[in-house]
Amino acid sequence: MTALLIGAIIYVILDFALLYRIFRGPTAADRMCAADALDLTTATALVMYALYTGRAIYLDVGLVVALLGFVGTVFVSRYLEGRI
Amino acid sequence: MNIAVTIFLVIGAFFTFVGALGVLRMPDVFGRLQASTCIATLGTINIVIAGILYAASSDMSAGVIVKLILFGLLVILTNPVSNHALCKAAYHMGIRPEKGFEPDDYAADFGAADSAENEVKEEA
Repeated sequence: MTALLIGAIIYVILDFALLYRIFRGPTAADRMCAADALDLTTATALVMYALYTGRAIYLDVGLVVALLGFVGTVFVSRYLEGRI
Repeated sequence: MNIAVTIFLVIGAFFTFVGALGVLRMPDVFGRLQASTCIATLGTINIVIAGILYAASSDMSAGVIVKLILFGLLVILTNPVSNHALCKAAYHMGIRPEKGFEPDDYAADFGAADSAENEVKEEA
């Protein structure tokens, strides 16, 4: 189904908007916020690509990317808070 | 069934577009966090629903559907936690909105000390 591939390409294009915020963001919290959103969009694009090609391995990769993005965001925000 | 999958994909892509636009255009950290929540809840969940419908209609194995449900549950459960931690970190770093908070409950909890001391200067 071609709509899945088109959706994945749209997500990758939207990633560049978030990358611009990571480069430009005034404070570290801005950068971490955009990086968290980038993790989720990348994982969702991987899910759509897995459904398009029919290979389940990309689905596993998307799950691990989402999980590591959550753990990384929580650790970095604890560090920014000054408690680590 | 293909039409339903396409409709859910379009809704998810639209809300992700709105979230990315909000992350680009919002004036401060808290507005950006609020816009990026839109990506996780409305965008990803609609894509996951579309994926479940597509996998159920095209004879994929049951493991794919289970993994998709697991992915949706993971995103729903973890996104509020990470966004709350990041918002609290931004408050502790001394970032305030331009107009200030109207009900400032964190100041009552943490003391007015760290709100007055370190104001982070934005480098334009």
